[in-house]
Amino acid sequence: MTMEPQPHSNLSKILVRTQAYLALLILLLLAGLDFFFPTNYRLQAGLHGISAIASVVTGTYLTHRAYALVRGVHMNYHSLRLWVLASTVLNFLGAVSGNWIYMRYRGEGGPREWILANAPAFHNYMMEFKEFVTLFPFPLMAAVTFILYYYGEAIHVRRDLTQFVGIVILVSWMFLLLGFVTGLVLAKLRFV
Amino acid sequence: MQQPTNNTEKEQNTITTPIYSGPLIAATLSPVLGFYTLMIAHHVSRVSKQLDQMVHAYGYWIPGSLGTGPDGSIGSYAGKETLALAVWLFSWIIFHFLWKKQELPVNRWIPLFLGAIGFVTLCLFHPFIDPILMLLLSSG
Repeated sequence: MTMEPQPHSNLSKILVRTQAYLALLILLLLAGLDFFFPTNYRLQAGLHGISAIASVVTGTYLTHRAYALVRGVHMNYHSLRLWVLASTVLNFLGAVSGNWIYMRYRGEGGPREWILANAPAFHNYMMEFKEFVTLFPFPLMAAVTFILYYYGEAIHVRRDLTQFVGIVILVSWMFLLLGFVTGLVLAKLRFV
Repeated sequence: MQQPTNNTEKEQNTITTPIYSGPLIAATLSPVLGFYTLMIAHHVSRVSKQLDQMVHAYGYWIPGSLGTGPDGSIGSYAGKETLALAVWLFSWIIFHFLWKKQELPVNRWIPLFLGAIGFVTLCLFHPFIDPILMLLLSSG
């Protein structure tokens, strides 16, 4: 007896989901292991890192939805609204935890002191830039969330509006990535 | 003659109710104004200690805005955030109610929005903005 391949096999769906969840879990370890670092500020570091990674992952996924919005193709707005809401909440957590860890960064014997003494350009040019642009994604995604809830399903009849929402999502993602990379570089240079 | 069902009425309302672009532009202009406030407050605080303290004072309500020692504080960053937050939210409320039933050109707003965001980002990058600020301060 020969086995016919099943046309509606769930194998690829299972594999894709497993890969996505494993990737997310392993990526989260990048900051999750901060909780076990030998420093008094491990909680701030871990929380900021995890919220930053989760924000970047969510923001990156949303860029795929953004292109569908720009093209104006039909989509599931209910799911999109929930994703942008989650993204806004994560961006807010990233900003709040960023404030919390920034206190130690500026504290006595903290990274700022060390960086200014050893590699001042990383503070003067990178940190002084990063601390502001990383605040951008939260209000941008709050605007996107508001727009999608305010207009509801009716937004699909206005291609110009959906296009603009897609553009805002892409702009927000750019700042998330900038903040993530500069944050990692600074943490590599001198940890809290 | 058959009476229209509630669903049909609802569908007709959805089609005939105009969708205004005003609220979308209000929601996306206000964060840009907040970003410019953040940038201006940052550069103002760099001019002198007195101006830094003035900006700082707006942020005293934020936990961790004051403090010394290893735990540190966020300093005048708290004031910059507060000013940006206030401009963002107040301008959003004002523009939203002003433009709630206004049709504004979204296609013209796209390049303005992108240009404004690109410029404020550049103005936060010290190697770009510092020579310009030095020139402005020396001529002032």
